[in-house]
Amino acid sequence: MTSRLSKTATSPAEAFLRPRPFMGRMAEPEVADKLLPLGEAVAKFIPDGTRLRSCGIGLRKPMALTYEVMRQRKRDLTYLLSGWTEDADLLIGGGCVAKLEGSYLGLEAFGLAYCYRRAIEKGIPREIAIEEYSNFSMTMRFMAASMGLPFMPVKSMLGSDLLNVESFLHPKAVVLEDPFGTKEKVALVPACHADVSVLHAQRCDSDGNAQVWGQLGDDVWGTMSGKKILLTVEEVVPTKVVRKDPNRTIVPGFRVDGIVLVPFGAHPYQVQGYYDVDAAFRREYAERSVTLEGWQAWTDEWVYGLDGHDAYLRKLGEDRLAKLRAKRAMSGQVNYGY
Amino acid sequence: MATDAPPAPPAIPAEPAYKRTELMAICAAREVKDGEIAFIGTGLPMLGGMLAKATHAPNCIMVFESGVVDARPKRTPLSIGDACLVPGSVMLGGLTEVFGLLLQPGHVDVGFIGAAQIDKFGNLNTTVIGDYRRPKVRLPGSGGGNDIGSLAKRTIVMMKQDARKFVEKVDYVTTPGWVDGPGGRERVGLPRGGPAAVITDLGVYRFDPDTKEMVLDSTHPGVTVADVRANVSWDLRLPLRVRTTKPPTKRELRILRTTLDPEGIFLGGA
Repeated sequence: MTSRLSKTATSPAEAFLRPRPFMGRMAEPEVADKLLPLGEAVAKFIPDGTRLRSCGIGLRKPMALTYEVMRQRKRDLTYLLSGWTEDADLLIGGGCVAKLEGSYLGLEAFGLAYCYRRAIEKGIPREIAIEEYSNFSMTMRFMAASMGLPFMPVKSMLGSDLLNVESFLHPKAVVLEDPFGTKEKVALVPACHADVSVLHAQRCDSDGNAQVWGQLGDDVWGTMSGKKILLTVEEVVPTKVVRKDPNRTIVPGFRVDGIVLVPFGAHPYQVQGYYDVDAAFRREYAERSVTLEGWQAWTDEWVYGLDGHDAYLRKLGEDRLAKLRAKRAMSGQVNYGY
Repeated sequence: MATDAPPAPPAIPAEPAYKRTELMAICAAREVKDGEIAFIGTGLPMLGGMLAKATHAPNCIMVFESGVVDARPKRTPLSIGDACLVPGSVMLGGLTEVFGLLLQPGHVDVGFIGAAQIDKFGNLNTTVIGDYRRPKVRLPGSGGGNDIGSLAKRTIVMMKQDARKFVEKVDYVTTPGWVDGPGGRERVGLPRGGPAAVITDLGVYRFDPDTKEMVLDSTHPGVTVADVRANVSWDLRLPLRVRTTKPPTKRELRILRTTLDPEGIFLGGA
């Protein structure tokens, strides 16, 4: 298919792929357009009421963006992900979230999520609603959306209250017998579309070709379920770095609308190859967020009292960040030749 | 697997002192057979899986829902998504690969899950205590628990036990066990599996193959049948002879304490 002659940077295929029908934006964008500061990105891409898909299961969470969404006092978000931790707890505590669609909200080894508890149990700071699925069902909902299908079948949820108890999606799932003869039961789960998907990636080039390694969680399908895609990245690298190892790209740049460069942007979570978990930080959050007053003091200190990501990193300090930096465990190289 | 406690030898102390959490992790390890594909969750199951690999089941393959196949972590993973599970694993993907390609088609032999409530058929609740709309306690929810309990060939449940947790009827069925008894799983359309054992801080339970009802299998050393019954809110079925859980060996404890969780992240506490 591809000619050996088309070795220029903009191949005919690239030119063909650029138009984005979602947005009706046909002009080829200046690549530099995509790179923007965190505050601007949140203001531009996440209006009140957005269906926002986040990323990362247990690591690579877009925490810098989460703090900025809180600082900008976004409201009425529907927050989408299979597994939430501090990210969702913070947004709920900050009054940013009206609805959740997902499967787990807790602080993993560090305990229960107390903003979530206060919201569901007492309506503090506001009433929220959750539509619950299993992790795999949620992934399949993202897969349906990203593949342009209305639903997907799963063998999970059968015989459980996940199937029976609805919150705001009617129906949230439908049991169907295999129409092709086996009569095997499956649960159909509806596509989960996002207005905006945020992906925290290790690196991308200036066009937004995003490379991720380590555990992928549900980020391939989840990211592609977004009408718009916003990247937060540890590094922006020359495009030749991406093109030398294209298997590592999980989102092609032509689907990406914005890029924010935020080193340590997932702190206190890990990013494979960049830094380790800040367990002391997570433990402190878990302890202080147990009471409303404790949570407010913590967020005054770490979110509302800081004017952005740079201030957050300064507060953490160079020593603390240096200790978290990843050790080297380089991959071997493969031959892409033919 | 569990036998009567051996008679105490005269000179040296009979058993090394150990925590209940350590015994639970060891019981979990003993449920894993060599060569099995084990789907591992955060906490004690992780220690159990790693202990099994370090002792009687070196060829067990640990699969983690975030996408890791055959992990060989060099430190205690804090979660199923810990980056320390990655170096040295044989395959990395995401939820689609692990749930979709390994678990759903039936390639996972044994899965571990925790619960806040369980009933006599092994149905599990990790969602709410109390009314769903305005619960007394809002818990984290299914996560991958429902998927594992629905689709692994067998499930091992690990939880702390008291009468508010071992209940007649769970407040919310997050993960189906044997549903309502014999044939229950088939009726709702589950293709296989079901709970095989429940490991608590008081004992180990299994399920009657005919009635699918939970039966006490062994009490942990120092725990009486009366203790167990006082911490179950239905009339628990007992076997003809209740065994005592085999206490931890020195080797099991040494591996747990010095290699797998030296900081007591999951073993700490009582």
